[in-house]
Amino acid sequence: MKRKAFGRDAGLTSRMVFTGFLLGALYVAFAAVLFNVLNVGLAPMIVISLGLAAFQYYTSDKLALAASGAKVVSADEAPELHAMVDRLCAMADLPKPRVAIVDTDVPNAFATGRSPKHAAVAVTRGLRERLEAKEIEGVLAHELAHIANRDVLVMTLASFFAMLAALLTRFALYAGMFGGGYGRRNDNGGNQVPVWLIVLAVSMVTYAISFVLIRTISRYREYGADRGSALLTGAPEYLMSALQKISGQMTRIPQRDLREMEGMSALFIIPTRVKRATGEWFMDHPPLEKRLARLAEIAREMGRPVA
Amino acid sequence: MGFLDALLGRKQLKDPARDRLFALSTARITLEAELDLRPAGVGAVCFKSMSAAEFVRAEKDLHGLLDAVARDTGTKVERKTDDYGFEWLIAHDADFEDLVATIHLVGAELESRGFGPQLLAAVFRFDRAGQPAYWIYGYKRGAFWPFVPSGESTRRDNATELELKAKLEKELPIEEDTSRWFGTFDAPL
Repeated sequence: MKRKAFGRDAGLTSRMVFTGFLLGALYVAFAAVLFNVLNVGLAPMIVISLGLAAFQYYTSDKLALAASGAKVVSADEAPELHAMVDRLCAMADLPKPRVAIVDTDVPNAFATGRSPKHAAVAVTRGLRERLEAKEIEGVLAHELAHIANRDVLVMTLASFFAMLAALLTRFALYAGMFGGGYGRRNDNGGNQVPVWLIVLAVSMVTYAISFVLIRTISRYREYGADRGSALLTGAPEYLMSALQKISGQMTRIPQRDLREMEGMSALFIIPTRVKRATGEWFMDHPPLEKRLARLAEIAREMGRPVA
Repeated sequence: MGFLDALLGRKQLKDPARDRLFALSTARITLEAELDLRPAGVGAVCFKSMSAAEFVRAEKDLHGLLDAVARDTGTKVERKTDDYGFEWLIAHDADFEDLVATIHLVGAELESRGFGPQLLAAVFRFDRAGQPAYWIYGYKRGAFWPFVPSGESTRRDNATELELKAKLEKELPIEEDTSRWFGTFDAPL
């Protein structure tokens, strides 16, 4: 068995495909309902949202950098950061993305760009200050894995449909408020629901479902990028400790001494944290515990000899 | 080992903490094979002493027991008090199984006298290229957690700690809540 640069996880891939399929199926049904209820107004809307999606796709790197206030830095301004990116790109066989720094204390990082050729990777000042070099490398490898996996393209496609639904929702609201531009009443009954209300309800439901599905896809992409980072650096433990540090104070490994805590919480049996099950549906990043558990699994996998 | 077995066989009650402490004996193989960590031949029990006469008696008996063990297995035990006012019973033995058994004995003895609440932790030292890495066992939760000081005063090597957890969570009961992984900086071992 040969190890691939960004790792294949058959289960993860099949779940991604399945989620993507569900998303597609949802829109087929959505379109059918709309066409049956009204036979105009759909085409222009699709054109509009297609245009918007295309705009978002082609300007994703500029948009994301501008929105976050990231400044692209040269190799002279941040030599150690560039050196890391150079090394990782050589390992991953990727063209080098632009490197940017966001001047904020919040430790974070992101990657953007429609293709590896038009990509940028950004880290915050807080991340550089708080993490060790090897931990930063793990985070950068995670972002480069996003680029290699074309996650911007995937998420743009996925959110295109959600955008469409949102647009329709707004359109329907607008039409309803100003006297229903395309709701012709039938003469075979007095008390029927106005058409715009049906459109509104349908697109609302569509949007809610697609919202959940998009976040599900997004979480799967995060797992994929974690896996890519682990395989690229060959040391998942650094990404694990980076995630620990980035995630805030809740689950941090403490700096204090056990004996100081005597008589306090360390000595008492307190039930461990309550598990959140439903909250996960609306998160676009998987919960830290799950990410760490998967990385631990990869770490154990790596320890075994390759057959 | 016959003598020790007799000692450990005293308690017929099922003691979950006991089984859990011994998990380290088998985990040691993984530690050496996967992480190149070798037992440093030293472990300790950290507890809060009491001035109560009953506790003093219990400690006396414990030392009598430990002397007997020392004659039987060659485990050396010394006692230290640290700046926090905790007592440390530090056992030295090149044979790791004997070391774990001795540490278990100290805990079991204090527990059987009703001083279980005084027990804070058992600490085992491992070494990799002269750098220490500790496994700490919390009696209150019956779970282990890793502690790898990184040389500077109160800094620790979180990456290595998480790697230790990742590679050993199938064999050792590891404390799930990482916010409880308190270290024992400048421990006397």
